[in-house]
Amino acid sequence: MRYVVRRLGFFLITLWAALTLNFFIPRFMPGSPLDALRVRTKDKLSPAALQEMLTSFGFKPNQNIFVQYWDYLGNMVTGKWGISIGGTLGQPVSEIVLHALPWTVGLVGVVTVIAFLIGSLVGVVAGWRRGGKLDSILPPIFVVTSALPYFWVGLILILVFSVWTNGFLPSDFNYDNSLQPSFTWPFIGSVLQHAILPGATILITSVGGWILTMRNNMITTLAEDYVRMGRAKGLSGWRVMTTYAGRNAFLPNLSGFAMSLGFVISGSILVEYVFNYPGLGYLLYNAVANTDYPVMQVLFMLFTVAVLVALILCDFAIAWLDPRARTKG
Amino acid sequence: MKRGGSIAVLLAVSLFAAGCSSASTAGTTSTGSSSASAGAGTPAVGSGTATSGSATGAAHKKGGEVTIANVGGQTWSCQFNPFNPAVNQQALGFVYEPLVFVNVLKNQAETPMLATSYKWNATKTSIVFDIRQGVKWSDGQAFTAKDVAFTFNLLKKYPGTDLYALWTGAGMKSVTAAGNQVTMTFAGPATTYFFNFANQVGIVPEHIFGTGAGAAAPDTWADPNPVGTGPFTVSPCSANNIQYLANPTYWQTGKPYIQKVQYPAYLDNGPANLDLANGKAQWGSQFIPSIKTFYLAKSSDNHTWSPPTSNVSLYPNNDPSHPATSKLAVRQAIALALDRNQVAAIGENGQQPAANQSGIVLPTFEKYYDAAAVTAAGYDKPNATKAAALLATAGYSPSNPLNLSVITVTGYTDWDASLAVIKQQLAPIGINITVEDLAQQSYNTKLYTGDFDLAYYGSAGGPTPYQELRQILYSKNSAPIGKTAATNFERYSNPAVDKLMDQYPAADDATQVSIIKQISLAMIKDVPVIPMTENVDWFQYNTKDIDGWPTPDNPYSQPAAFNVPDVGQVLTTIYSKSAQN
Amino acid sequence: MTALLVAGAGTDAADEPRRRRGGLLSSILHSRKALVGFFIFFVFTVAAIVPQLFTSVKDPNALQFTPALPPSGDHLLGTTALGQDIWAQLIYGTRESLIIAVVAGLFATVLSVLVGVSSAYLGGIADDVLSMITNIFLVIPTFPLIIIFATYAGKGTLLVVLIVLVVTGWSYGANQLRAQTLSLRNRDFLESARVRGERRSYIIVAEVLPTMISLIVANFLGAALYSVLTAAGLQFLGLGNPNSISWGTMLYWSQNQQALQTGMPLWSIAPGLCVALLGTSFALMNYAFDEISNPALRPVRRRRVKRKRTSPAGH
Repeated sequence: MRYVVRRLGFFLITLWAALTLNFFIPRFMPGSPLDALRVRTKDKLSPAALQEMLTSFGFKPNQNIFVQYWDYLGNMVTGKWGISIGGTLGQPVSEIVLHALPWTVGLVGVVTVIAFLIGSLVGVVAGWRRGGKLDSILPPIFVVTSALPYFWVGLILILVFSVWTNGFLPSDFNYDNSLQPSFTWPFIGSVLQHAILPGATILITSVGGWILTMRNNMITTLAEDYVRMGRAKGLSGWRVMTTYAGRNAFLPNLSGFAMSLGFVISGSILVEYVFNYPGLGYLLYNAVANTDYPVMQVLFMLFTVAVLVALILCDFAIAWLDPRARTKG
Repeated sequence: MKRGGSIAVLLAVSLFAAGCSSASTAGTTSTGSSSASAGAGTPAVGSGTATSGSATGAAHKKGGEVTIANVGGQTWSCQFNPFNPAVNQQALGFVYEPLVFVNVLKNQAETPMLATSYKWNATKTSIVFDIRQGVKWSDGQAFTAKDVAFTFNLLKKYPGTDLYALWTGAGMKSVTAAGNQVTMTFAGPATTYFFNFANQVGIVPEHIFGTGAGAAAPDTWADPNPVGTGPFTVSPCSANNIQYLANPTYWQTGKPYIQKVQYPAYLDNGPANLDLANGKAQWGSQFIPSIKTFYLAKSSDNHTWSPPTSNVSLYPNNDPSHPATSKLAVRQAIALALDRNQVAAIGENGQQPAANQSGIVLPTFEKYYDAAAVTAAGYDKPNATKAAALLATAGYSPSNPLNLSVITVTGYTDWDASLAVIKQQLAPIGINITVEDLAQQSYNTKLYTGDFDLAYYGSAGGPTPYQELRQILYSKNSAPIGKTAATNFERYSNPAVDKLMDQYPAADDATQVSIIKQISLAMIKDVPVIPMTENVDWFQYNTKDIDGWPTPDNPYSQPAAFNVPDVGQVLTTIYSKSAQN
Repeated sequence: MTALLVAGAGTDAADEPRRRRGGLLSSILHSRKALVGFFIFFVFTVAAIVPQLFTSVKDPNALQFTPALPPSGDHLLGTTALGQDIWAQLIYGTRESLIIAVVAGLFATVLSVLVGVSSAYLGGIADDVLSMITNIFLVIPTFPLIIIFATYAGKGTLLVVLIVLVVTGWSYGANQLRAQTLSLRNRDFLESARVRGERRSYIIVAEVLPTMISLIVANFLGAALYSVLTAAGLQFLGLGNPNSISWGTMLYWSQNQQALQTGMPLWSIAPGLCVALLGTSFALMNYAFDEISNPALRPVRRRRVKRKRTSPAGH
């Protein structure tokens, strides 16, 4: 019980710290939403009118900053996310996020999970067949791929599969502009086609890390007594690999996965930027560029919550998979 | 945002010149002047046949489709409120129309839109518009003078919607409707604001903005299904694309010729330019690097014409707190040493013309230009020897160089390239330039508060040179160092120039031209800022199927898709060639 | 909680810390991965220190050549759309990229050691607070924060980039080192030092740290890799100083000028490849260090051994 309380306390404090940083950093730095709006309208409109307009949309620069901070914390929790005051001036933040979320979850989320599963599986096999063909070729290759910059891999893919091949695969956006969203083949096909290059980018750069850590965990685990014992008992190799060694080697990898979600989000910003993919990462980049406080705040909160939720789920999963953790709780 | 340059002009050339700081905001002339389509003062064109200003007088058959590639940097929010500056580019001209269209590129030539004619009183403090009869809103209701009066009174009630500060800056006192006439009264002579209230404000229906959701908050309302008098209606809008369909009951009978407009969302210049190059989109409005090979060479149907409208200048800090740049000799030396043609050719890749020291944008505002004065002062060609001599009087030389930093915006690559050329040109006479690339936010703060030696900045411009010169030179647009200035960022102050600025609104046409020439003399004499190149409205067009585009020979409106309400003129003039068979 | 947060293979190094110290250098020399990694690193270091050896161009940022030339004898990789020599930029860009990697990696490692070791060694409330802070930094998605910070911190100077990288790059190592120190705390040799009456600071510096050299080095390499990739990403987004010469800045300009679409792909490919190579060199050395500190991971060379090991798995 004490463990659960501690854990929950940790989550709350982390969330609070993240929200606080995200509130104060932009506000203590130069630039304001009004300046940004003046630039976007090329200094052609009345600053007074623009200020009024921003005020109508909920921007209150002259309010005491701590009152603002308090309101902000409350609004984040209660889901009153406000209205964009940046490039999408006037659009409710919840609506903006709702538009972008499926694209990020659908592309980055799905590909990341695929990469993790493939990577873990290959890692288990590579570690098990220590010194086999797979094991001698893969690690050096994946040491290299996991050191590649996300966005650069994206650029190379664009060059090869789009520029050099005269647009063989689409290199930007989420679907063809001339289509209307619907559950029809042309539309779904277009969505999938547009997901190939960004998806491949994420897969190439992230799968290597999972393979390597899983392989190393596997090798360490294989040296443990209980694995030797399983072998001595005469259990089949498959059984030892999956239930004895694989499962135990998988646990640290799983928590690594939850932790790495933060990095996945980082990567997604760059990938979405390179491919002009209108997901949450692109949205954040745009919000920062336009000093759009409400959008920035909500996105940052969502990113933090996503990582925390993944950690909680991971806790459950470990408790379920690992009897030792259960008794500890 | 990945921008190809200093290019992201978001609004039409309009003229909010003065900012909030003064009650006597700049305005514009409404001289009907000698233009083609409208007589001065009271243009009267019968409704239904108003094709004035269009490329061809002849009518065309309906049909065809045009795709616009104008980079917005984000997906569409499907709001069409004409008062929201973030989205009104997609509403004005398409759906909402002004009273009178004023053509910046053709000496403010006027085309009557929702007003058929107007009349000023003798003191120019009151104007009466005759409102067009027989116009219908796109939902079928009749458009009346009451809608016009309602629109302007809305601006008063919700200050956030008064984007041109008509009620606060321009001295608007009342707007009333009687019969088919609307009368506006002002505190003083208001001819300079004509461009704002007649051309820039889109008229909205009272039965939409005066009832229900629209009335509750007209300033923040999304207006997702806009009802207007314009040539197009929205149907449908998604995050990735806005499709406009021709308004079947449009008051200009027979128009628009084009039946469908596609306006896809582009997040970046790259894909937009690619679509333009391969003809998928026909109407471009942003910078294309290496345009000859990348765009023009791809098809003989691809064309470009980017008319200049304002200046990109070096702003030296004129405030005494900056001892070097506040010295006239130093500013003169810089202006003399620079080869503007080289800056335009290398820095802007030849896609922007060179500017001149008088600050008059050529060829757009030719009639205000005093070539003799520029030549007399020696600014017609670079003169490094004279520049070095002037600099020596200020105590600087190549052996004792003057170190200056210039602020610019990260990502404006054409400006970076221009500044690299400027740096190279100034080094021999003894000025060392350090280029400070700043994030947009930091740049603005420094520019507005005067925290710079030199700044590279593109001013906003307006329908005549008066607006731009007033933005740059009028002392009420300035502010002490450390405070936010409206537009006079270099902190120039000259009572004589201020006086000329104040005389301008009440003057007649000929006097106005001479006043502008006198003001541009101050630009030459005092060198408050140093114009380098001329900002252009980027425009590329494809003539494979669509014709009737604005061209240098027939500049019937500003051509870029981000110019509102000009976009409406283009949309009602272009036609599909294949539909004519 | 800590059990959960410590992932990866480095932790196993704890088992027999003393024995391997002398063999560290020879182990490195015998690892092919380490040698390849070290060689790449060495080449870049030479280019960073004496770029003049590789190119005759004095000022690689000056716009002095014909723009958009294809590769030739004069311009090995051609010129940029603005008229700079790409090869010269690449060579001169090595310095800043390398400095970012090494300096940010170094300071992040110092910070991890300070926080991680003292947290574990002090225990009690100090440990609670320090590991709480560590875990918060570990969990907060840092890259969005970095973007926000770098955008608003005014000029994207080298210093800002370095600070950002250090602040966000230390937590993983601190966590590892804390776990490592915890496992050492009650070892005999530390116990005896305490019995001898040595001061805490002495024990940490003279007794604890030396046993963790290989883990610290591995951490440094990991932090350097993180810095290389993150800095390149930041600069690519235009959040660095666009006037500086570095690989990330080159990528920013090439993207800005649509190098891929306008027929100058080398302008993008070359700096990206260098970032990848430098990253690879750190990753290879890091991997080799893992193998050195954890003998179980070393590649199995002799065939016969492999047979014996895998045969029970036959199916």
